[in-house]
Amino acid sequence: MSNITENAPILQVTDLYVAYGPILALHGISLEVHKGELVSICGVNGAGKSTVLKAIAGVLKPRSGSIRFKGKDVTGWKPEQLHKHGMALVPEGREIFPSLTVEENLRLGAFGRYQARRFAEDLEDFFTLFPILKERYHQAGGLLSGGEQQMLAIARGLISHPDLLMMDEPSLGLSPNRVDQIFELIMELKSRGITILLVEQNAQRALEIADRAYLFSNGRVEYAGRPQDMAGKVDITSVYLGGQKGGDVE
Amino acid sequence: MNMKDFIKDLDFSRKSSTVVFLIAILVLIGAFIWWLNIPFIEDIFTNGTIMLIMVLGFQLFMGNSGILNWSYVGYVGIGAFASAIFSMTPALKALQIPTMYPFLISLHLPFPLALIAGALVAMIVAALVAWPLMRLSDSVGAITQFALLIVINVLLSQWSQVTNGPRTFTLGGTRLTSFWLVLGVAVLVIILVYCYKESSLGLKLRATRDDRYAARSSGINFVAVRYVAYVASAGIGGLAGGLYSHYILSITAASFYLNELFLLLSMLVIGGSMSVSGAFFGTLLVTLLRQGLRQVELFLYKTGFEASGSAEIVVAIILIAFLIWRPNGITGGRELTWQSIKRMLPIASEKKDPISNNLKKEEKA
Amino acid sequence: MNAQIFFEFAINVLSMGSLYALIALGLVFVFGICKLINFAYGEFITVGAYVLYFLGVFTSLPWPLVFLIGILSSVAVGYLSELVAFRPFRGRSLDALLVTSFAVSVILQRLFQLGISPRSKAVPVPAFFNMNIELFGLTTPLRNLLIIAITVVLLLILTVIMKYTVLGVAMRGASENFVTARLMGVPANLVISVAFIISGFLAGVVAIFWTARTGSAEPLMGMSPLLIGFIAVVIGGMHSLPGAVVGGYVYALIANILSLTLPTSLLSFRDAVMFAIVIAFLVLKPEGLLRGNYQEERVG
Repeated sequence: MSNITENAPILQVTDLYVAYGPILALHGISLEVHKGELVSICGVNGAGKSTVLKAIAGVLKPRSGSIRFKGKDVTGWKPEQLHKHGMALVPEGREIFPSLTVEENLRLGAFGRYQARRFAEDLEDFFTLFPILKERYHQAGGLLSGGEQQMLAIARGLISHPDLLMMDEPSLGLSPNRVDQIFELIMELKSRGITILLVEQNAQRALEIADRAYLFSNGRVEYAGRPQDMAGKVDITSVYLGGQKGGDVE
Repeated sequence: MNMKDFIKDLDFSRKSSTVVFLIAILVLIGAFIWWLNIPFIEDIFTNGTIMLIMVLGFQLFMGNSGILNWSYVGYVGIGAFASAIFSMTPALKALQIPTMYPFLISLHLPFPLALIAGALVAMIVAALVAWPLMRLSDSVGAITQFALLIVINVLLSQWSQVTNGPRTFTLGGTRLTSFWLVLGVAVLVIILVYCYKESSLGLKLRATRDDRYAARSSGINFVAVRYVAYVASAGIGGLAGGLYSHYILSITAASFYLNELFLLLSMLVIGGSMSVSGAFFGTLLVTLLRQGLRQVELFLYKTGFEASGSAEIVVAIILIAFLIWRPNGITGGRELTWQSIKRMLPIASEKKDPISNNLKKEEKA
Repeated sequence: MNAQIFFEFAINVLSMGSLYALIALGLVFVFGICKLINFAYGEFITVGAYVLYFLGVFTSLPWPLVFLIGILSSVAVGYLSELVAFRPFRGRSLDALLVTSFAVSVILQRLFQLGISPRSKAVPVPAFFNMNIELFGLTTPLRNLLIIAITVVLLLILTVIMKYTVLGVAMRGASENFVTARLMGVPANLVISVAFIISGFLAGVVAIFWTARTGSAEPLMGMSPLLIGFIAVVIGGMHSLPGAVVGGYVYALIANILSLTLPTSLLSFRDAVMFAIVIAFLVLKPEGLLRGNYQEERVG
């Protein structure tokens, strides 16, 4: 990766168009994430937040536009290739494998980049970060509570040591103190230097912790920049209103 | 609805012209073959037209609902046996199928009524079993239909007192299904199947195919909508079965099982299951293909090669190729209409680019 | 002599059930990952049977080698059919896959008819298969005990693979949520190919014991095991590997009970009864006897 200069973004999305069948969901999205940054994407339901993550992770094929990751054009790559190349997505709704144990879920998270020794070392680390996972290590993922599942989903994303960790609505459907826990955890990950791209309904919280933010509206970027500069430039209430509505699927 | 609306609703150039074209093509081919007066070709045409009726009935449910309806060919079989039992004279039945229940032996109806009765029996069976099955979609739905086909097949092939069991069921007597009868029924069925598709019931069923949840949330009772189509489809299948048995004159349960189903499926998929035109042209194409291949097989046989069955291999490969590269069949799931013909004709190209014109129209609407 | 009748019944159920469990497992491996009821599965078994026939009749290879080559041919056909016919349908509709598997099945059947013979061929069986064994005061051919033992061993091996290897965990994950598994770096092509290879392997083992029982191979022989596997898989809940095994044994139990209790005049309707049970299961209890992988999510 010698061709990456200090200033080049680790992820660069340019003019991305994505459609579900005949319906266009993204109308030319451009965004970038630099190494070590925490970038939040906010917006109301249907703005295309989840869609852009799915497209970046290779689950959805873009109609046009390009995605560069770590200096490589990765447009059209398969999800498993992108994972191997250092991308991890913590999907919306957690998507834990319900009949697999916590251990197996974690093992699977490392599938693309599995190393037995590193896995064992990481576990030690994770057990301090997510003590609940140690307690439930041999239980089926489906038996965990929503908050525990979210912890597991994040741990499962981290265990592959991604260069970019993407999280899709990690606070969705959780109780208020669980939400606090999740955001504390995200702060902790950021302080460890992990590059994070976060999609959140809960705009207030997401903007508090973000280095930079994108505001999406109807599949377009409405605003891009530092969260604290956002106030004067866009109708901020619309963003926060998005945070009040919980639970519905995009 | 007043007359003006009615005519507008018919919309000849984009909609109803389909029926006119399909019937015209069928009748022209039929008339030409009648004029040729070669029994061998008449036989191919009659058989092919019976297949067409089967495929149209198949399309009615499967094409509009998107559910792989394995059991369909079972209803064709039920209609074939039932109509034969109705049409044969008691004396003939006592002679041909001595094991038959006495009350079935005593039944007798004139041939046209027997055909209708056969279709009704198929519809009644479908009506009795189908309701709980209509809830199921996707792989569970397909598997259930497959299991149902096997139940029907076991009953047809083992119930000696009704179908003569595994032995051949010979109708005896003369061939009652005629060239013109088959043609007439096919014309009626084309109209019926097309009208169903364009009716509000058909529209609802197509909506459930395209998006089950959206259709449901907009108030469509998809079980009921599917049920009606399934029973109607079984009726057309039963009718076609009756025509078949009174043409072939000896049938076994094996005639209405996986081989036959595979043929119907190939015709419908290759033509394009989502449209009536697809059912029509698929049947036409596969029939021509199979007859051609059969001639090749015969030729090879004469030169000493045993190649029977190779026609099925070719059809199967073509079927897979279509599924890969053109899953909506030769028609692309669209109907043959006056408009689509105009588009294909170079004379009409004054309107430059019909596709973008269409798009503009849609945008305005 | 009641005990003897019971033991005979038990051995029948266990040996038939073992064979059926293997058949069902072969189907459910592919179904779990691809959600495809593979109609060509019966033909994987037929291929194995024909290879046993050719090697048994025309060569004097030792039996273990004959069996090995037979199994490998089923594996090869399974893998190749995936590669050639099913792979182009990745991410497409299930119905297209189902119809394709039906078409593949037709193609293979016709090829057997054309290339080998439409009539059945006698498949030689090693003598020790039919050697009678004295057990609990009744005699039974060794193959009945052999299939039980082999099934136990295979189930143990498969359990170890599925539980303790990374690939096995990936297969189970992919059968629960294919997209998420890919997001974890599990290659779609790899797990699907492995599913077909395991399916082919089981078909090869089944071919050995199926032909040992029937003594012959013929083009359409794949239909019966396909239907048996189909019933067992539905009873077992379609999504779970242990469910398929249980389904196989339960099917053998029901079939044996029906054989004993149905009057001879109704015996020919046994399959109709079995498939009516299948329909009832699909309508009333689609998750089968064992709950599959679908656990309710607890929200907390």
